[in-house]
Amino acid sequence: MSVLVAISTDFLTAWSFWIGVGILAGIYGIFTLGLQLNVGFTGILNFGQAGFMAIGAYSAVILVVTVGVPFLLALPISMLITMAVGLLVGLPALRLRSDYLAIATIAFSEVVRIAIQNSDSLTGGNQGTISLELENERFFTDTWFTISDWISANIFDQIGLTDPDFLNLPLLAVIWLTLALIAFGLSRLVRSPWGRVLRAVREDEDAARALGKNVFAYKLQSLAIAAGLGAIAGWFLVLNLQSVNQAPFEPIFTFIGYVILILGGLASFAGVLVGTIVLWTLLEGLRFLDLPLDGGQIAALRFIIVGLVLILLVSFRPQGALGKQEEMVLSD
Amino acid sequence: MTEAATAATNGEAMLEVEGVFKQFGGIHAVRGASFDVKRGSITALIGPNGAGKTTLFNIVTGFYRPDSGRIVYDGKSIFGKRPHRIARLGMVRTFQITKALAAMPVIDNMMLAATDQPGEHLPSLLTRPLAGRKREAEVRERAMGLLGTFNLEAKADDYAGTLSGGQRKLLELARALMPAPRMVLLDEPMAGINPTLGRRLLEHMEELRQRDGVTFLFVEHDMDVVMNHSDEVVVMGQGETILVGTPAEIRADQRVIDAYLGGGAPDAAPTATEQRATESSPPAQEGTDVRR
Repeated sequence: MSVLVAISTDFLTAWSFWIGVGILAGIYGIFTLGLQLNVGFTGILNFGQAGFMAIGAYSAVILVVTVGVPFLLALPISMLITMAVGLLVGLPALRLRSDYLAIATIAFSEVVRIAIQNSDSLTGGNQGTISLELENERFFTDTWFTISDWISANIFDQIGLTDPDFLNLPLLAVIWLTLALIAFGLSRLVRSPWGRVLRAVREDEDAARALGKNVFAYKLQSLAIAAGLGAIAGWFLVLNLQSVNQAPFEPIFTFIGYVILILGGLASFAGVLVGTIVLWTLLEGLRFLDLPLDGGQIAALRFIIVGLVLILLVSFRPQGALGKQEEMVLSD
Repeated sequence: MTEAATAATNGEAMLEVEGVFKQFGGIHAVRGASFDVKRGSITALIGPNGAGKTTLFNIVTGFYRPDSGRIVYDGKSIFGKRPHRIARLGMVRTFQITKALAAMPVIDNMMLAATDQPGEHLPSLLTRPLAGRKREAEVRERAMGLLGTFNLEAKADDYAGTLSGGQRKLLELARALMPAPRMVLLDEPMAGINPTLGRRLLEHMEELRQRDGVTFLFVEHDMDVVMNHSDEVVVMGQGETILVGTPAEIRADQRVIDAYLGGGAPDAAPTATEQRATESSPPAQEGTDVRR
């Protein structure tokens, strides 16, 4: 990768690079919107979001490649599957106190990942889904490339963005459009009476129960919706990578979601958008640092700098970019 | 006069508690609670600390599952039902340690408590958004009315966490009244609020009972309040109901005095051997006994 050694002014015009960063930011933005609904609005510590993303990604690929379901039909089905898994996980796990729920969900996500790694015939194992695609001579991304070419030809080529650098622009556009629509929908949803019950559950489950609210049902709904959003992030992840193995579903990616939450602020969906842009710009932009270090050292330095930013943030602005300070300090 | 208020006059039971037991590990928190709360009455539940009053509240409202016994509310058994189910039957409670939903505005605290809001359920929210919005307007009006009654309307848009302790108590009571409950259980409503607010709270209870026939059961330590404002008093000691009677009867009863002074319930009086053991034990041990 020549970008790694580029001097610091080149990075501004490295279009394909920044489009790639935008795609990652968008995917993890969608992923984190689900976490925001759980953590920021319902008070449930879901640490299994990477597991839901894995189920969404793999079920969509398996449906298209192995089963032969049309791409656009496979997506909603895989989302329903992931939401059903969310309900199944929630039924026992949401009865636990919040810290135990965190442990249970992280365990769930690891079970999913390791199962994927070891069921070669179903998922391609460590080889990834490419082995399934070659075997079945059917590729998950085929339909998407048709759509992508159409968008390029009819929109981006028309405005002069014909350079190969802009090849991934349609994916970026579709991801951010999806992200914006979901963020808008969720903001509407949490301002409804339904969202008011969610916030009451976050504040005090017993008080909500005493007022006749079925707390458990609301927590289940919240988790299932987050799982569904994890599935959407999973599809885009596969479209971006073109084939997928278990590596992008390690628990660290759930933690990246939490970093985005903290950066952007709790209980704000717009904050997730800000958080994901800041995080990925920092993480990837720091690749352009021209330091006398080798690649591995620079990679480690990126995380050190992100860590420093987080520490400074929680010291000086604990509510994050768009969180409400009052909601952090007030308690019974 | 409403139907409920008429019913109040004939002394029919709104809540029947019979032989309720609850054990936590080796601790018998409630061991034989039996009493009736008459429809439209204001009934006080008193007893020394540790007598099991709050545990009994938690059992009646479904927060704890009793080991055995019978609990009948408005003619229907609510034994072992979950809290939100019981609340939906019109029995609303408050908590000893106030549970204001701190990071939510006061008005949201109030509107949350409304019943029959189709906007609270995802399917109806998405298919009939207008029904939810229409109901929301009614709910807001009722909430503002109740906040006005408790002099909290100026605080409607503030976070509940910014209210004083006394204001939170009032908010919790106002919130409990939002769903137009038929029975309200208050756990130490007077604790921590100034006498003027306390008097107003009592006036409201009286008014609601008169006008809407609401039944009240409340835990209280202030004997003036208990003696002057309740129709009936239930006395608990060491997990049992010792006595049920009018304030005048309670005042005169030796067993109540014993329970408060740590003598134990009459049938739990120590045997001669136990008495000797107590006498020979160090003073710290005696201190524990007195507190019970």
